[in-house]
Amino acid sequence: MLHAGIVTVSRFTMMSPFSNDTFIGYFGFPRRAVLREARERYGDDLALIDLDIDHGAPDTGVLPSTTCRIITNIIDNAVHLGDRLAVIVAAVGEDKCDRGRHAAFLLSKMGFNVVESRFPPEEFEHRVLMYSQGRMALADKINRIMETVVDPTPSVEPPPECTPTHGFWGVPPHDFRLLELFPPTTHVYGWTRCVEAGRPGDMELECFVDEGVPTVFFTQSFCVKQDLAHYLAERYGGLAVDCHREVNDSILAKVEAFIRLS
Amino acid sequence: MHGGGTLVIADCGSTWTKILDLDSGTLEVIPTKELVKRKNAFFDIATGHSGRNRCRVYKNELIALAEGGLSIVDDEDFSLVDVGGRDIKFVRFKGRKVEKLDWNLACGATTGATVELLGNYYDIDFNTIPPSDKWVNVTCGVFGMERVLEQISFGTPPEESIAMFVHGLVRNVFDFVGRPPYLYLSGGFCENHCFLKTIASYCDFVPLGRTVPLEGLKGDIPRVGADVPGSDS
Repeated sequence: MLHAGIVTVSRFTMMSPFSNDTFIGYFGFPRRAVLREARERYGDDLALIDLDIDHGAPDTGVLPSTTCRIITNIIDNAVHLGDRLAVIVAAVGEDKCDRGRHAAFLLSKMGFNVVESRFPPEEFEHRVLMYSQGRMALADKINRIMETVVDPTPSVEPPPECTPTHGFWGVPPHDFRLLELFPPTTHVYGWTRCVEAGRPGDMELECFVDEGVPTVFFTQSFCVKQDLAHYLAERYGGLAVDCHREVNDSILAKVEAFIRLS
Repeated sequence: MHGGGTLVIADCGSTWTKILDLDSGTLEVIPTKELVKRKNAFFDIATGHSGRNRCRVYKNELIALAEGGLSIVDDEDFSLVDVGGRDIKFVRFKGRKVEKLDWNLACGATTGATVELLGNYYDIDFNTIPPSDKWVNVTCGVFGMERVLEQISFGTPPEESIAMFVHGLVRNVFDFVGRPPYLYLSGGFCENHCFLKTIASYCDFVPLGRTVPLEGLKGDIPRVGADVPGSDS
């Protein structure tokens, strides 16, 4: 995670976002070539920062309150970082969502240097799902998966593969406390699984879950993926959960009940 | 609440609290606004939004509902829905195993409390107002209330407008539980005749009353005394 200090991940360094450094911001899963070109152009030594994540930036109020929190994070982080962002590499294709595209548009109108990325199917990869299907704390698993966006180097110490007892479908949540409820034998599905596979926007993979595995279909509230989550939860007897901003006791209790009773 | 060997369990909902003295069998139903004034309120076992910090043993609400339903209903396959002030909880059993469960929160919720608010404001007796065959779209309590106020401003009598809100709530509940041919109903709406007459036009149902989650707490009685205060089951 990028919340504090310096985290060294293989070939690059990610730094605390609110230091005085200059950053290359990105959101979603940009094409690897676009991200590489941005780094070559603006400086390989610049820290990368995932703008999707809650870094504690203050609310800007730029977007309506009924906006998916991840998109709001993008805008709030960018506005807070301001001219410390050398460039924003923005996923705006089917691999992200229309609101990601709109965020990129708004940021460019606000004067940010935005490079758009649309991840084409021709560039889909076939990476091994070592984290999605591994035995590991779910939050750690998802963090490791998201780090592969900028550093796809395979881990030298992958977690052991495991049979799924539960499933988590969706994007990384704004509030990771939700993930603490799941056992380490939880498999990851949905967009996050697509990220690990190197196939963002692969609808077939995004909608895949192992039948019979009790799965929580998670979205942020007001995210268009709620349509998929609702459909898949009905089809596979799972639990659709949406959450705006931070989780509350009721959401945690709902997921807890599902995990224990399923 | 707890003392002298008396076991007291409670379902502390957002708007109503049900307190059962297991020794005397006395059931007390009080507004939760009264509970929060009782600084010494503390129970042996509790469930509900407002119960977590007021008990020795806390039980998840949906688990309490599910276990309470199983203790009351003998059917192999059945659907159970609890319509509360703040949310709607649903469990479907197949072969007496949980097949599906859900719990609506945030958007789509707070409709039960809104019915009470509207009823109090317009002095509505839900035992006497007739059901309406029309409904307003109750996306959530706030949106539903806006629709009711709009109906009233257009000249629809408050009684009918609120019956339309209740009808919208019934449709939400029916859709939420997957439109079963019959269901078991739990919660305060078991005492709302307008709600009962309206849902009767959608499916057969059996009202189980307000104490189903309390029944689900009884299985935890052996844990009282063995657990630290506030522990979750």
